[in-house]
Amino acid sequence: MIWLYAVTDRPEAEAPRVRGIEDAPLATVCGDGLAAVVSRCLRDVPPTEGNLLRHEAVLEALMADRTVLPVRFGAVASERKRVRQALRERRAWCETNLKRLRGRVELGLRILWGEPEGASAGGACACPTTASGRTYLLARAEEERQEKARREQARDFALWLHGPLERLAAESSYRLLVTPRMLLTGAYLVERDRMPEFRRQVSALGSAHPSLSLLCTGPWPPFSFVSPELQGRTEELVRDARF
Amino acid sequence: MNSLATRREVTLLEVLDRVIDKGVVLWGELTLSVADVDLVYVGVKLLLSSIETAEKMRRHAVAATWEVDSRP
Repeated sequence: MIWLYAVTDRPEAEAPRVRGIEDAPLATVCGDGLAAVVSRCLRDVPPTEGNLLRHEAVLEALMADRTVLPVRFGAVASERKRVRQALRERRAWCETNLKRLRGRVELGLRILWGEPEGASAGGACACPTTASGRTYLLARAEEERQEKARREQARDFALWLHGPLERLAAESSYRLLVTPRMLLTGAYLVERDRMPEFRRQVSALGSAHPSLSLLCTGPWPPFSFVSPELQGRTEELVRDARF
Repeated sequence: MNSLATRREVTLLEVLDRVIDKGVVLWGELTLSVADVDLVYVGVKLLLSSIETAEKMRRHAVAATWEVDSRP
């Protein structure tokens, strides 16, 4: 099988010397001005820590000297011919997106806040053992009202923090309250040379709000900006709580 | 948890959040089934707590941002 890492805009460039999944050497499959970076693999590549990090490491090596469309972990093709065929079929889409991402990197941001414990603890204590059904229902309704207010407050605050960062980015996306403490999980597509400015802005937010914890990571391959559902848009993804 | 281990876990979490869930799917052939992904997400749950640990440690530091080296 052939494991796929990325589509790049430099078919003439050699594959980096880093090793891929299962320690296999990298190769490129070229077609129509594009190149897919690949390596050989067995049919089943489990999503172990080692494999996930290897996939990422290959992408980071590629990012050093070319624009990449990072491929999701787990994409394989049965033969090179199929890779070339896919490049041909998706050429316009790939070219548009490579152009869009050129010179830009993804920065990640997580903002933790300390607010919610108090609210949920209060709710739990209010659970009655002897109170009437009516009291219980009223308490539940009140809890729900508080929860709703808290979400609205979180949303306003998160968007207020997100605003100045969004302005430094070409594109951005975010999720609110992935867990109760994680106020905002953001991804920002930033010009490489604006990274310091972006980080300074994150620092400034941290200084202005000592109760928040901010974690800025990257530069990453622009994973968050090539998913079909996120493409080209700033959007809020309040996902069902998987966590 | 020492700081190196925390950094490693945070890095893994960030990688996981991207490479499994996002990225181009040009081909219909994905080896990873939804069941596998769910298993991976169980791991994420544990890793999330390490971010909080990292933050507790960081809170005592002067710097407001903490850049994670994403290389393994």
